[in-house]
Amino acid sequence: MSLPPASGTGRFFAKAAKSIRLIRQGCTNRPFFHISVTQRRRLNSQPVIEQLGSYDPMPNINNEKLVALNLERIKYWLGKGAHVSPPVAEILGLSGFFPIHPRTYMTAWRNRRTERENLAKQLEAEKSKEAAA
Amino acid sequence: MISQQSLLKRTWPMVVQCAEAHRKPRWVPVAKSKIYRIPKRPEVSEEERLELLRINNNYKTQMRAIRRFFHEEMIKEKSTKDSASSEMSLRLEAQEWERCVELNEKWNAQVALEREERRKQELIKMEEYALERMEAKDKELEERIKKASEQIRKQKEIAATFITPETLDAAIEHALANPVDYNFAIDLQGNQFLGRDTPIPQKNLDKKPPSV
Repeated sequence: MSLPPASGTGRFFAKAAKSIRLIRQGCTNRPFFHISVTQRRRLNSQPVIEQLGSYDPMPNINNEKLVALNLERIKYWLGKGAHVSPPVAEILGLSGFFPIHPRTYMTAWRNRRTERENLAKQLEAEKSKEAAA
Repeated sequence: MISQQSLLKRTWPMVVQCAEAHRKPRWVPVAKSKIYRIPKRPEVSEEERLELLRINNNYKTQMRAIRRFFHEEMIKEKSTKDSASSEMSLRLEAQEWERCVELNEKWNAQVALEREERRKQELIKMEEYALERMEAKDKELEERIKKASEQIRKQKEIAATFITPETLDAAIEHALANPVDYNFAIDLQGNQFLGRDTPIPQKNLDKKPPSV
């Protein structure tokens, strides 16, 4: 199946549910996503209604994950009642367009917890080593 | 089987459900080694659960408000667009149009002036170029004529010595009277001895060639 074009050829119905979601465009081992609006019941491999941005999840040389957003059109589609998929909601939350997504908070505090635990483990191991010596 | 034509001429979008390539087919049962495996449920502490619940409720409330805001804004924009066809806005639009036309004409006049100047310059340049080329052509032609006339003069000079039917006998006699011998001999020193019967000095022969 050929790739859907970057923008705009998907047929859609005015009253059907739309969704703003990530659509994978990269190749093997190189993910890259378009942020597109499609009909909600349609597959990601099918033509989209409109592309609203892009997201590159692989950090570049400056350790940045690049995101491009067309906020005007996102506003338009939200006004039309489009749904937003969780990953896109997270990105929009980090960009300051939405409130921060709960999952962002969750991953943050879980990461912090594991880091704390690892530190404690390290300290314990050092202490035991010293005691043994 | 669906024909290609009917596929291309369809008015409704095609909805195809295809399983992902890495999934096994629907009809393949659970693997024998995995029949009695019960996946472990994620453990979420009570504290975390309550916190997540609170955050999620907040988020949902905020999102609802945001959505409503965008929706209302869209409706407002639509209404302003609809009311744009009133008389006041029509007049304003006409004024704006006139202003635009004026500005456009001004720009056009300016561009026309510039274009006229440019055209003149271009014409002058073209004339100069043509004249230059014509002059160069004339020069070349003159040179060629000069060259040709020079050649003709030279040939005429030489023509006096040509052998004609009238002077043929004399030329033959002259040739017979003065035979020319082009034979020559050469020694190791590179000395030429013209003629077939020229005597060669004997001392030159006695000398041994220098061994190199």
